[in-house]
Amino acid sequence: MSHNVVAMILAGGKGTRLGLLTKKMAKPAVSFAAKYRIIDFPLSNCANSGINTIGVLTQYEPTLLDSYIGNGEKWGFNGVHALLTSIAPRQTDEGANWYKGTADAITQNIEFLDDLSPDYVLILSGDHIYKTTYNEMIDLHVDSGADATISVIEVDPKEASRFGIMAVDKTDRITEFQEKPKKPKSNLASMGVYVFTWKVLRKYLIADRDLDTNHDFGGDIIPAMLNDGLKLQAYRFKGYWRDVGTLDSLHEANMDVALDRSDLHFHGDRSTRIYTEDTYSLPHYLGREASIKSSICNQGAIVLGNVNSSVISNEVLIEEDAVVDRCVVMEGSVIKRGAKVYNAIVAPNTTIESGVVVNANSKEIALVGGKVTH
Amino acid sequence: MAKVYGFCNLHDAPSLGKLTEKRPIGTVSFLGRYGLMDFTLSNFSNSGIDNVGILVDKHLHSVVSHVRDGSIWVNNTKLGNQRIFYNENVPSRKFNTDVNNLLSNRLHFEDIDADYVVVAPAFFLMSIDFRDYIEKHIESGREISLIYKRVKNAKEEFLNCDVIKTENKLVKNFSINMGTAKDAMISLEIFIFNYKTFCQLVNKTREISTLFNIRDLVNYCATNGLYEVNAFSFDGYVAPILDFDCFVKYSMELLSYEIRKQLFKEDWPIYTTTHNTPPALYGSNAEVKNSFISNGSTIKGTVINSILSRDVVVEEGAVVKDCILFSGTKVGKGSHLQYVVADKKVQIKEIRDVAGEEDHYMYISFGANI
Repeated sequence: MSHNVVAMILAGGKGTRLGLLTKKMAKPAVSFAAKYRIIDFPLSNCANSGINTIGVLTQYEPTLLDSYIGNGEKWGFNGVHALLTSIAPRQTDEGANWYKGTADAITQNIEFLDDLSPDYVLILSGDHIYKTTYNEMIDLHVDSGADATISVIEVDPKEASRFGIMAVDKTDRITEFQEKPKKPKSNLASMGVYVFTWKVLRKYLIADRDLDTNHDFGGDIIPAMLNDGLKLQAYRFKGYWRDVGTLDSLHEANMDVALDRSDLHFHGDRSTRIYTEDTYSLPHYLGREASIKSSICNQGAIVLGNVNSSVISNEVLIEEDAVVDRCVVMEGSVIKRGAKVYNAIVAPNTTIESGVVVNANSKEIALVGGKVTH
Repeated sequence: MAKVYGFCNLHDAPSLGKLTEKRPIGTVSFLGRYGLMDFTLSNFSNSGIDNVGILVDKHLHSVVSHVRDGSIWVNNTKLGNQRIFYNENVPSRKFNTDVNNLLSNRLHFEDIDADYVVVAPAFFLMSIDFRDYIEKHIESGREISLIYKRVKNAKEEFLNCDVIKTENKLVKNFSINMGTAKDAMISLEIFIFNYKTFCQLVNKTREISTLFNIRDLVNYCATNGLYEVNAFSFDGYVAPILDFDCFVKYSMELLSYEIRKQLFKEDWPIYTTTHNTPPALYGSNAEVKNSFISNGSTIKGTVINSILSRDVVVEEGAVVKDCILFSGTKVGKGSHLQYVVADKKVQIKEIRDVAGEEDHYMYISFGANI
C-alpha cells in the first residue's frame, strides 16, 4: 500500500428492517453465509488491500460488535503497524453526543484522524456484502486528482429510483447527485464507499457541523462539494455487491452463496479470503439418513435430516426427518425431528420443535426465533 | 494452586508407517481438522496448565507450522508460554531420547518455575482433566505417579503398550502387552513428578542408561524400588493411535455419535489452528452419508462413511466410500475411491478406480497424482 490511507467503517445503524436479528446486536454483527458476520467483509477487504489502520464507528448495541472486533487478530490487524479500534459516541469536554449522521460520526472523530494524519480517508459501510480490494479505487482517486471518489455500481434503470444516483460526464466525473430520484439521470448507484482527500473532507465536516443538516455524506457533504465545484470522481465497481438491509436481501444474498451463484469465490480464488472468527468445533457431520444438496454448511453442525438450498451455520442440529428448504439457519439452532421449515431465516439459537411446519405455502421470507412450537 | 508445567512428549512414539515418514505423530491429521497433539495440548490448557514444553523428536518444521506461537492453547499470553524443546545435536537416532532432549536444553529445563511436572504423549487420544490427578498426587506425598487405563480388550487393542501390575495402588512391575490376556492395566504413559525429583532423575539418567526415555526411567524407579510410583486409573474413553491400522480404525469409530461424545465433551474444547476456510459447499447432485466434512471442501459427488479434511474437492459422479482424505485432496469426475487414506494434496484424475481392502487400507502419499 503506497498511499497513506485510514479506513473508517460506519457500523452504528440499528437495521430495524431485520427484526429480531438486530434486537440485541448491530446489523454489521449479523451472521452471514454460515460462518461470517457482515462486518467481516469490509474488514477483510481492508486487510486484503493492505489498509491496516481502521476505525469502526459503532452506536447501536455496540457491546457484541466491540468484543467481536477485539484486538483485530481475526483479520490480522494485530501486526506491528496495524490499528483496529471501535469508536462509540462518548461524553467529552463539550458534552455527550450521539452520532447524528454518517458524516457526524467522522466529524466527532476528527482528532482521532488528525493524530493518524492520513492523506486519504476511505469511508465504508459495515453492512454490505462484497469482496474486493480498494487499491484500484484509491489509485484512481490519486491519479485523477479528485477531492472525492465515489464507488458506483450499475443498477437496473427501473430500480434506480431506490438509490443515490450519480450523473457523470464522459470522464466519469460526477456532475450531479440525486438521492432516490423520481427521474434518475443515470443508473450508477452509490455504494456508500468513498475515498476523500482528508484535508478537503476535514474542511467540509467542520463547515457542516454547525449547519442544520442531517450530517449525512450522501445528503449533505457530497452535494456541498458538488456545489462548490470540487472534483468528484466515480469509480465503477464491477462484481458482486449486495446491501443486506432487509430480510429479503439478506436471504437472497445467502442463497447466492449456497447456490454458488455469487462471484464471491469463496471456494475458488483463495488469494483474497474473508477472515472471521473460528469456532473450536468438529467438522460438520452428516448422518446415515441425511441429505444435503445445493447448500453450504459450517463446522460444528450436525445434519441428520434433509437440507436443500440452504445455509447451515456452526453448531446447528438438524434432526432425523426434518426438512430445511431455502433457509438460512443461524448458529446454534435446532430443527427437531420431523419439523419442516421453508423459505426462512432462522435466528441464532432458535429451536423449532418436533413436527412443526414453518412457512410451507408462503412465498414471503419468514423470520423465526426463540422456541417455535406451532 | 500448585505450579504445574506440562510436557507434550513426541519422543518414544509409535510409527504410523508412511503417515509419520515426514511428520511426527503429533501433527498427523485427525478427523479432518485436528493434529493428534491437539488433544494433549488442549488437555493441558483446559486443566489450567498454561506453561507447556513440546518435546520434539524430529520433523521440527511440521511441529512449528502446526503450533505456530502456541497462543491457541494458552489462556493468558503473558503468563502462559509454550516452548519447543529440540535436540539440535544428536549423534545417532537411538540416543535421541526425551531425556537427552531435556539435557541438551538444560538451561531452559532447569529454569522452569514449577512444583510439579506432567508428561503426556500425543498418541493416546482422550479428554482428561489433569487437575484431579495432580491433587491426588500431592495428597499421596509420593514423588511420581502414573495414569493407566483398565481395559477389557487387551488381546486385540493396546498391543505393545506397557502393562502394569499394582499392589496397594502402587506400580509393582511392567510388562509389554503381547495380547495374552483380555484384562489389563495399560499405562497411558502420563506421568506426574515433583519437579525437583524430575530434574534430579533426568540428570542422573545417563548414569543408568543412555538409551532411557522418561517411560523407562519410571519403570526403573518403580521396579527397583527407587521411588514408589502411584497408579491412578483413568476411566474415560481412550483412542490409542499405535499404528496405521489403529489410525484408520479409531478415526472411523468416531463417526459414531455415541463414541464421539465420549471424546468430545461440551466443557472440554479441543483447540487447533485455524485456516480461514469457508463453509463446505454442496452441489445439486451431492450425496453424503455418515461422514465428517471439513470447511473449504466442495462436494458435487457421493461421499459415504468417510472423513474429509479441509479443501477437499469431490467432483460430479465421483464416489468416495470408507476413505480418509487429507486436506487439499481432489477426486476427479467419475472416479471411485474405497478404503483409501490419501495424504495432503493428492490428485485423483477423472474416471480412476482406487481401492484398498477393508482390513488393509491403501495409503496414497503426499501430493501424488493418480
